[in-house]
Amino acid sequence: MIVGEQKPIGEIKQILSPYKRVLVLGCGTCVKTCFAGGEDEVAVLSSALRLVFKKEGREITIEELTVERQCEDEFIREAAPAVSNNAAVLSLACGAGVQAIARRFIDVPVLPGVNTTFIGVLEKQGLFTEECLGCGDCKLAVFGGVCPVTRCSKKLLNGPCGGSRAGKCEVNPETDCAWQFIISRLEVLGQLDNLRKYNPPKDWRASHAGGPRKLVREDHII
Amino acid sequence: MSSEIQSNLEGVLDRGDFAVTAECGPPRGADPEVIRKKGEFLKGYVDAVNVTDNQTAIVRMSSIAASVHLLQMGLEPVMQMVTRDRNRIALQSDILGAYSLGIKNILCLSGDHQSFGSQPDAVNVFDIDSINLIHTVRDMAESGKDMSGYELNRPPRMFIGAAANPFADPFEYRVIRLAKKIDAGARFIQTQCVYNLDRFKEWVRLAREEGLTEKAYILGGVTPLKSEGMANYMAKRVAGMEVPEAIIRRMAGVSKKKAAEEGIQICLETIAALREIKGVHGVHIMAIEWEEKVGALVEAAGLAPRPAAV
Amino acid sequence: MEKNFKPQITVFHCINCFSGDLESSIPSRSDGVLKSVKMACSSMVKDVFLLRAFESGSDAVIVMVCPEGQCRYVEGNIRAKKRIEWVKKLLDEIELDGRRLSLHPIDSGDPDAATGIIGRVLSEVSALGPNPAG
Repeated sequence: MIVGEQKPIGEIKQILSPYKRVLVLGCGTCVKTCFAGGEDEVAVLSSALRLVFKKEGREITIEELTVERQCEDEFIREAAPAVSNNAAVLSLACGAGVQAIARRFIDVPVLPGVNTTFIGVLEKQGLFTEECLGCGDCKLAVFGGVCPVTRCSKKLLNGPCGGSRAGKCEVNPETDCAWQFIISRLEVLGQLDNLRKYNPPKDWRASHAGGPRKLVREDHII
Repeated sequence: MSSEIQSNLEGVLDRGDFAVTAECGPPRGADPEVIRKKGEFLKGYVDAVNVTDNQTAIVRMSSIAASVHLLQMGLEPVMQMVTRDRNRIALQSDILGAYSLGIKNILCLSGDHQSFGSQPDAVNVFDIDSINLIHTVRDMAESGKDMSGYELNRPPRMFIGAAANPFADPFEYRVIRLAKKIDAGARFIQTQCVYNLDRFKEWVRLAREEGLTEKAYILGGVTPLKSEGMANYMAKRVAGMEVPEAIIRRMAGVSKKKAAEEGIQICLETIAALREIKGVHGVHIMAIEWEEKVGALVEAAGLAPRPAAV
Repeated sequence: MEKNFKPQITVFHCINCFSGDLESSIPSRSDGVLKSVKMACSSMVKDVFLLRAFESGSDAVIVMVCPEGQCRYVEGNIRAKKRIEWVKKLLDEIELDGRRLSLHPIDSGDPDAATGIIGRVLSEVSALGPNPAG
């Protein structure tokens, strides 16, 4: 899932200041799971915004709506009437959703209410961890299912570095050293020989470094 | 290998002499006098001087430029190169430039993460890692081609080194990593500074068992302690560093005035011990902001004068 | 400070820590207006309900919970505590003052506890003044 965090309310207030009628548009998929932009978060944010604008004597009406996903037309269409009712849309979707809404409703400013951060998993209640940065050339088989590109702070393919200490990364004592995980996992799998092998420099062309990417499935286009 | 002129450091090691290297951090500014002053302290006492590359991710004069300043005053640099700040295009370009300017030794490193330094807001590169870099420099020398397969006019033929940390985790894996670096092309290894001789000796023994000491020259790192405070700081705040209790007690057990002397004494004992370890071919003295002590240290250790540069 | 300020207080409580009808059990006061919301468990108090209480004009909001370890549904009072802490921070961020919201453990066996809590909150909120977004 995509993980993000709602922007601080001070920043959202700033972003909304030019507008008198705002639609707070939530998304029921990824951002709902990480408590950034689902229906509940739309309700709380809208309430807090009404309170703060009232306190400042500012007139603003806030409409609340949540659609299943903001990255698919089928659901985006449902927001059309509400969008046309308002002067601006504050989208609580991930960056992809915000942009999808923005280019389908070009006459209305579509503003982000969430800082999108990473592709990750719900590791346990309340804890989301970054797992994949979408390099486009997955080598998890070599590394025992632990990604050194995403989870090693230095993207080392022949790690660890000299800063690995007690299983933690030099960058942050709370960050686990991915290479410690890789070594432990390969030990369990009886594949430590993988580590003896030289891993050549990564071909970054399939990653974002090669430019913004597209996937076209001709077999699904009529 | 072709008959390009060997670096001085390579010559000393090949002849079986116990080598001495030291370190020089370039200034946070464009004033070459700082380097020249440090160089003056080291001249005649070392076979080569490491020049760091934006160490701790703090912006300093570039390693290649500082290395040239040292060359110009008759010292031989070991240019350090990290993969944190530059991609493979820039790294290869700098290797070509460095060699063209007369730099013959290179130490390949990943580099401290930028979050430690003066620009934590910068993006890092890490296009390739240190082992990829070692491989690249070796390939350029042996095949005469760059990473894209292009034949270089005058390929660089540098004496390649790598760093090793016998004190980081996981211990058992450290020798595998060392083997990887040597297989990739590292011919000399400089270690993190040694205070725990037992652990260091164990690491060298494991390296010997793997046949690694036959393939590369290990230079044990040393850093003379200036005070009890410094010993504590290094023990607790520096990643991958180990300072045994016994050493801290020794530093604590003398008056503040005598602390530096005790630190030098411990350092001399370490150097003497290093000379006795089979498979250790030199010492790398990292006298951080204490370069003026290197000369006295080398002399007291019986390692002066250094063999004249060939 | 307005002399005629009569704070409006909304009290959320679970029926396990206070089983009666709050408005009628507490001796009627001339210094405040009380409204209560009963829940099966205090964990049912969602953040949006607390904010909407302020939106509808409350000057202070009280959440009463069972004492630690005594929640009939085991974790309900812990969840309520975390939520109230979160909303207090939000109230501070929007400058409504998080002190207007408070959480109080109350033993169902103590009939006067509720009176005491409400009395204390009334005097605190008189000092804070009316809800700036009221």
